[in-house]
Amino acid sequence: MLFFRSEDMVKAWCRARGIEPRPIVTMSQLWQLAVAWYSTRLSPEARRPGPDEMRRIFARIGLNDPFWDPQADVFG
Amino acid sequence: MDFDSDVRLAVYQAFADTGNAPVLAELATRFGCSTDEIRAAFARLQRNRVMLLEPDGETIRMAPPFSGVETPHRVEVSGQRYWANCAWDALGIPAALHQEARVWSSCGQSEVLLRLRVGLEGPEPSHWLFHCQVPAARWWENLVFT
Repeated sequence: MLFFRSEDMVKAWCRARGIEPRPIVTMSQLWQLAVAWYSTRLSPEARRPGPDEMRRIFARIGLNDPFWDPQADVFG
Repeated sequence: MDFDSDVRLAVYQAFADTGNAPVLAELATRFGCSTDEIRAAFARLQRNRVMLLEPDGETIRMAPPFSGVETPHRVEVSGQRYWANCAWDALGIPAALHQEARVWSSCGQSEVLLRLRVGLEGPEPSHWLFHCQVPAARWWENLVFT
């Protein structure tokens, strides 16, 4: 899970490793993921999102690709 | 709260306070129990994907978003230094602490330095991007690689 300064840099990184580029996430979307995952982490009732909750979080911020499905079996 | 929840919270609070993972003996002293009891709680927390241990079963490698080891993703909050496990967690630390932060990382391909200010409502406008190679269904198969 890395930062890249442009889409071209993502493509170059993937090309060098012989892998297909995965869906790209903007900094704004990443912040929303960070808040969804971690904003309660220091509280007694903290917990990780379950599969259905993960799907809802990803969908809410426009990440609908099966890549983000925690139970998908279409990615090797 | 049950014992494991108390231990989990103590681990996270130690990371938040110091930027480092607590050691087994410190937690045993704090809870007035044996190190074996803390070690057993650590094992259960790892099984529940709360944190990741080193092979010794007592050193905390990750309590996401915090890292117990130095990484390329550094975060500073109110003068305290933290290490994040990945780019996602670099924003996760200010989100967890509910404080403004500065993040230092770099481009995965070009190694150009990223310096990012993160406010209470999120990072400053930035054209930088995030890319994850591993699909969500496989994140926990090898969390260090992910």
